[in-house]
Amino acid sequence: MSGILSVCHLGATPYREGLALQEALVRRRAAARNGGAQATDWLLYPDHPPVLTMGRGGSGESLRVSRESLAARGIEWFEVARGGDLTWHGPGQLVGYPIVDLDPRGRDLHRYLRELEEVLILALERWGVPARRVPGRTGVWAGEEKIASLGIAVRHWVGYHGFALNLAPDLGFFELIHPCGLRGIRMTSVAARLGACAPTLDRARHEVAGLLARRLGYDGIRWATAEEVRNLAASIETSTAVHTNAHHAA
Amino acid sequence: MPISIVVPQLGESITEGTVSKWLKQAGDRVRKDEPLVEIQTDKINVELPSPAEGTLEAITVPEGTTVPVGTEIGVLVGTAADDAAAPAPAGAPAAAPPHPEVEGDSARQGNLSPAVRRLMREYNVAMPEIAAIRGTGLAGRVSRDDLLEYLKGRATPPAATPAGAPSPVPALAAPVPALAAPTAPAAVLPGLAPAGPFASSGPREELIPFNRVRRLIAENMVRAKHTAAHTHCFDETDMSAVVALRREWAAKLEAQGVHLTYMPFFIKAAVLALREFPWVNGEVRGEVMVVKRYYNIGIAVGRADKGLIVPNLKDCDRKGLVQLAGEVNDLAARARAERLRPDEIAGGTFSITNAGVYGALNSAPVINLPEVAILGVHKIAERPVARGGQVVVRPMMNVAIGFDHRVVDGELAVKFLRRVCELLERPELLWFYA
Repeated sequence: MSGILSVCHLGATPYREGLALQEALVRRRAAARNGGAQATDWLLYPDHPPVLTMGRGGSGESLRVSRESLAARGIEWFEVARGGDLTWHGPGQLVGYPIVDLDPRGRDLHRYLRELEEVLILALERWGVPARRVPGRTGVWAGEEKIASLGIAVRHWVGYHGFALNLAPDLGFFELIHPCGLRGIRMTSVAARLGACAPTLDRARHEVAGLLARRLGYDGIRWATAEEVRNLAASIETSTAVHTNAHHAA
Repeated sequence: MPISIVVPQLGESITEGTVSKWLKQAGDRVRKDEPLVEIQTDKINVELPSPAEGTLEAITVPEGTTVPVGTEIGVLVGTAADDAAAPAPAGAPAAAPPHPEVEGDSARQGNLSPAVRRLMREYNVAMPEIAAIRGTGLAGRVSRDDLLEYLKGRATPPAATPAGAPSPVPALAAPVPALAAPTAPAAVLPGLAPAGPFASSGPREELIPFNRVRRLIAENMVRAKHTAAHTHCFDETDMSAVVALRREWAAKLEAQGVHLTYMPFFIKAAVLALREFPWVNGEVRGEVMVVKRYYNIGIAVGRADKGLIVPNLKDCDRKGLVQLAGEVNDLAARARAERLRPDEIAGGTFSITNAGVYGALNSAPVINLPEVAILGVHKIAERPVARGGQVVVRPMMNVAIGFDHRVVDGELAVKFLRRVCELLERPELLWFYA
């Protein structure tokens, strides 16, 4: 495995836009495999406003408040085609969307998931938060509490969606849901563990990107501007709009 | 030519996938590489693109079903020029390219689609019969239509295999020819001749996806076992007095429309003992122990295939035996009818489980987190016991307590359990002290 990993801090990104950016880059990555344009794998860091997203593993019973009351709380709601149940994203969380061609990686999805977990565990340990896996429960745990969630989607053997590491979010938002559909689990954050010693989001973005590039075997990292990503996605959108209308409606 | 849509290999450690969403309906036209179906495994959702342009002819595995990797979940009919004759009527041999490696019967059997296997179960079709059908599917495989055609011609379904005859061995799931040996144990025991659905030729294994309830039960049980330092101890109680009381009062209460079981007595005894030993009526919340001065008693209700649920009765210390009797029956009936309110399955402080209704003489129950203890009651059985140097026969019952040894010491648990036994042996104490 080689090549460059393009990384971008997107800044403020509504969830819907983040989804569209991912889908555009996934299409570009898959097309590149068939001899199309040059394309790299990506790691996108969006800053989402508070949003609840429901994956394909969810049942609708993980929400502890009414759907109607979410708007009043300023929380958006999305149902998305990723694995996993209900989760929350919002300020203070490090959300990362690796867009990775899994074809040359042997299409082993569990191995990919475990690698992502490993990246987060290594980062947390570097900051002084002992972290671990819990067999059968994808995600990263600090003691008995969950500190990072994962949910992956795969299209044309390109992985997207990704991880959400609780750096310093308002953990009160998790009271609204049964995170990941698990009853009685408690969420924690790096800030809850370390207080003022917690790394900043910016430092976390750099360190997680570095570890991810190392674990997934990239030669190096290239930081792209948010503008570049948005322009790139827009150009893909227009060139493929006709082709994709059908399944967006589905 | 029909193309099988199968769950692909998704990773070394992945053996099965759940069909999470069909993005196309049967009959829909699809382009090559257009997303067709989503498969979920663990926290991964995979979109399968269509392998060719054509029409999705059939969805053989519905959403929400978990199947092993390699299982056919749908059939696509291509529309490329060389497939012009594809929608041929059933029975016409399709021009399938011969795959030498799948010509053997065993390979064909292993490739049967879930739809075919279901029909085989329904109509009790044995493997040798399938082998005799000329398949029109991919590589000569027997399709659903082939089987329906065959069933039309089959005069009498061999529903009951005559004893002594070669009994169809359910070897579908493991297509090993040697397993189809014509001597099944059933033939040796005519009294146990295959009759039920399990004896017929179905697959030897069935994948039943966890529904929400089963998943929650599984998670709660594992969490309880991993969190609480489960310890158990056991005692026995002489139920003579309670049996006599119930015998006397059951008929009178029945006339008032209240069916009196033993459970209200168990609840009364437990509540009084809990008041005496408050730590047993507690909860571990982080680093603190919460002692509760209200008594919401959970009752484990078994529900055949729907799975266990533990609704609780609120404030049992403020209710009389007759009121408890009515509420227990109501709660159990509504639990079985799935008519419980959400607050009835939350907020319990202590639970009682009665494995005796199924005949158990003893059990080691799992704590219903976040509670710290659970009382197990069992079958009341007459047995000889020593009383004052004499052997007498008494209705005896074993009782068990499962407790979280992190916060409930053995001494406390034993004393609590003994007090429950005393209160059941001398119900007048309920009257004096409750």
